[in-house]
Amino acid sequence: MNIIVCVKQVLDPEIPPAKFKIDPATKKVIPPPGVPPVISVFDERAVEAACRLKDKQGGKITVISLGAAQAAEVVKHTIAMGTDEGFVLQDEAFEDLDSFGIAYVLGKAIEKIGAYDLVLCGRQSADWGNGQVGSILAEIMGIPVVTLACDIEAADKKLKVKRIVKDGYEVLEAPMPSLITASSELGLPRLPAGMRIMIAARTQVPVWKAADIGAQGPELDKAKAHTEVTGLSVPSRKTECEMISGDSPGQAAENLAAKLAKLL
Amino acid sequence: MSPVSATYWGIPGYAIFWVLFAIAAVLFAQRLYFLFRLMRLGKAENRFDNLGQRIKAMLVEVIPQWCNLKTVTRKDIAGIGHALLFWGFSLFLISYIIFIGLAGGFGASSAIEGTNFEVVYFSILDVAGVLVTIALIMAAVRRYIIRPERLEASAEAGIILILVFVLMALNVAVVGFGYSAHDINASWPPLGSALAGYLSGSGLSQGTLEAVYQAMWWLHYLVIIGFMVYIPRSKHLHILVSPLNILFRPLGHKVVLKPIPLEEAEYFGAAKIEDFTWKDLLDLYSCAVCGRCHASCPAQLSGKSLSPREVVLNLKEHLLETGPGLLAGKAEVPPESKAKTMIGDVVTEEEIWACTTCGACQEVCPVSIEHIRKIIELRRNLVLSQNKMPESAQLMLRNLQSRGNPWAGVQSLRLRGDWTSGLDVKILAEGDKARTLFWVGCTGALVERNVEATLAMARVLKAAGVNFAVLGDAETCCGDPARRAGYEFQFQMMAEQNIATFKSHGIKEIVATCPHCYNTIKNEYPSYGGDFKVVHYTQLIADLIRRGKLKLTKELNSILTYHDPCYLGRYNGVYQEPRRALQAIPGANFKEMERSKNNSFCCGGGGGLMWIEEQPGTTKINQMRTEDALKTGADTVVTACPYCLQMFEESIEHKDIKDSLKVKDLVELVEAAMKQP
Ligand code: SF4
Ligand code: SF4
Repeated sequence: MNIIVCVKQVLDPEIPPAKFKIDPATKKVIPPPGVPPVISVFDERAVEAACRLKDKQGGKITVISLGAAQAAEVVKHTIAMGTDEGFVLQDEAFEDLDSFGIAYVLGKAIEKIGAYDLVLCGRQSADWGNGQVGSILAEIMGIPVVTLACDIEAADKKLKVKRIVKDGYEVLEAPMPSLITASSELGLPRLPAGMRIMIAARTQVPVWKAADIGAQGPELDKAKAHTEVTGLSVPSRKTECEMISGDSPGQAAENLAAKLAKLL
Repeated sequence: MSPVSATYWGIPGYAIFWVLFAIAAVLFAQRLYFLFRLMRLGKAENRFDNLGQRIKAMLVEVIPQWCNLKTVTRKDIAGIGHALLFWGFSLFLISYIIFIGLAGGFGASSAIEGTNFEVVYFSILDVAGVLVTIALIMAAVRRYIIRPERLEASAEAGIILILVFVLMALNVAVVGFGYSAHDINASWPPLGSALAGYLSGSGLSQGTLEAVYQAMWWLHYLVIIGFMVYIPRSKHLHILVSPLNILFRPLGHKVVLKPIPLEEAEYFGAAKIEDFTWKDLLDLYSCAVCGRCHASCPAQLSGKSLSPREVVLNLKEHLLETGPGLLAGKAEVPPESKAKTMIGDVVTEEEIWACTTCGACQEVCPVSIEHIRKIIELRRNLVLSQNKMPESAQLMLRNLQSRGNPWAGVQSLRLRGDWTSGLDVKILAEGDKARTLFWVGCTGALVERNVEATLAMARVLKAAGVNFAVLGDAETCCGDPARRAGYEFQFQMMAEQNIATFKSHGIKEIVATCPHCYNTIKNEYPSYGGDFKVVHYTQLIADLIRRGKLKLTKELNSILTYHDPCYLGRYNGVYQEPRRALQAIPGANFKEMERSKNNSFCCGGGGGLMWIEEQPGTTKINQMRTEDALKTGADTVVTACPYCLQMFEESIEHKDIKDSLKVKDLVELVEAAMKQP
């Protein structure tokens, strides 16, 4: 079974809020120095899903990551988890693309990789959180998409997917190839084990430029982008503390419940 | 005339003597050979380096019985008893060779009997016999009346006490009956002669006395060779094996973790008994079940299921159970142990994760057993091959792997180099060179309480005119938490990376504040090509005070006690320097805790346990240690380790005793004492 996983490198969400800086002119985040980027948590679950499938039925997992050259670190992290190879897609033309542009580039890279049975993405990215790339990519490639998967099984050229819905899950069946986006409910990604950490550290991750994957379409034209960033700000956080009291613990609990009910 | 030269029922005594001996010798050798083959199931490890030095060190440890005497305290004098037994019994062993082997078996009795040598030796044996008997009584009283936690009153222990006593008694009886039967009137050896005198006056016929003498002699002989057969089949195997174990103990650094070779393997760490090295298996044979480790293990004492003694015993039992099958080359093992997996059934995961790697067990073990590396091998298997570990451990390791430090969440409200802001310290940029590096460590750089100590350290170094630089944001974890948690490859990678960084800046000397970093860089990096001069800051400060570079002038009217961090004290023997520094503080009244120096009690934070949850429902180790500090009446407990500092802070907070006890890092006090009034 050939699986392709798309992963994104994001600013470490553990960075203390005070360290977040934004350049108002370019509307971009200025990364604090000395903090290596990490894999987007949802994409890490997509990798975990791929690894679980590989554990069960073998196969090959290829990872692609669109971003800066540091994305190689993220690809290496997935190799440490158990993927087989990975590529970084990096080109000036790929910078500041919106979801459509990104999906287009990923699609081109997948075309270059060739045969696949399953494409996996995170449900959304941990930084911008648009949650669109997976679906658009499926559309471009003309394959079915199942979003928000918490469990995937593969058998007889078919995929059985548990999909998270508001009050539980539904089970869907999809043909191969399909695109599936992984949800948090998939569970904790594995800790890279065995010697894989060392193997990964010594892996060279090839970088593909626009020309390498034949990405020259109008989709890269930023003027024709479907979305535009109009403003970017660090959310201000306020905490207020209110002590809820009552004559008895029971009374206090009632008061608390009433308060919560009002807030919801 | 030795009873061996007589004839019994037409059979010459010599024949009986040697046939019995041959049977015993075969049984003895057979068992030892079996144990040797089992030991060879273990993995290779070179412990044959510096043999001369090893032999010398072993003799110096065993013959004066330092191995047992080193743990003698007012409360536990068992070591003295063992030393008496050892010396006394050694004399008896020699006597068996001379007076039974040579005189009896080889018919040299005429050359030995009646000589002054015999009289003197027998007299010495009388004294030794009394001393051994005293030791036996002490041992029996302890085992069956006082019953300390560390000893289990097993049948085996009882058998051996009785056997040795019987040997002592028979020795006197043989001399007594022999002398009276042969009409020897002597006053030496005292006990034997006294008995002979009594028997001669008892009216027993010469014939009866001779018959009883012969019977006693043969009984004595039987007990001795029976002993030989029994020893390697009992826990008293340690009599034979432990000197070897001391011979092959690590030279130099005490806790030697074996690097895992970089080659694909089916699995890593120890999943089966034969995954340990032969030295680990020899360890198992050597255990005397004295329970000293059990009685000093903080995990055990705080109510966790881990007992280092039980780990060793259970592994030994497992080896003896599965070994024969393995030797026969059969994959299958005896039915009762068929379903047994080493991790889970023999040593539980709970036990494996309860160890703080504090080293207390190894410190007190009289036979130099290395407990910690076994626990780490088991962790390696769990982490590297089974992906099984407490969630808190996984979280820590994930952080290490992706962020280069074990802290996350609220603790990482800062970035690594943040503490340097506002301080004029040299932060090494790429290409910069420096001789001395101040290695801050993750905890010292990231955790708020510890940052205070780091700042104090930087200010003290500057005040003393020490020329140093720091790595700032470029510093990463030294790898200690990864290694202790069994995440070996992550450790190896971090070690390689850090060594490359040090080399790129031309660093020669590293000052570490954290004893864990200190230990790792000093003792473990050399295996990866990193040979740097590493000093702990307490050593540097003591030296600066001695040389007059730091002047402590301000009186601190305070009662201090010092907590020895395990990785500074037991692991590296740094006990004096911190005390010297504290005693140099004017007005400081220094009190020792009852458990201090090499007997120090862990704070609970080592071995990755800073991040791994303690078994619910048990006492917290840091609470116990805080009690120790409180007992001294000190108002300040001083330590020299960021983990200890946090552990004390937490338990002081928890006990709500902030008014009566404070915890300070040593450097904070030094700085306070430096300020002009
Ligand atoms: S190292 Fe410490 S915690 Fe671990 S078994 Fe030994 S005494 Fe117990
Ligand atoms: S391991 Fe050492 S200290 Fe522990 S019971 Fe055995 S001999 Fe005693």
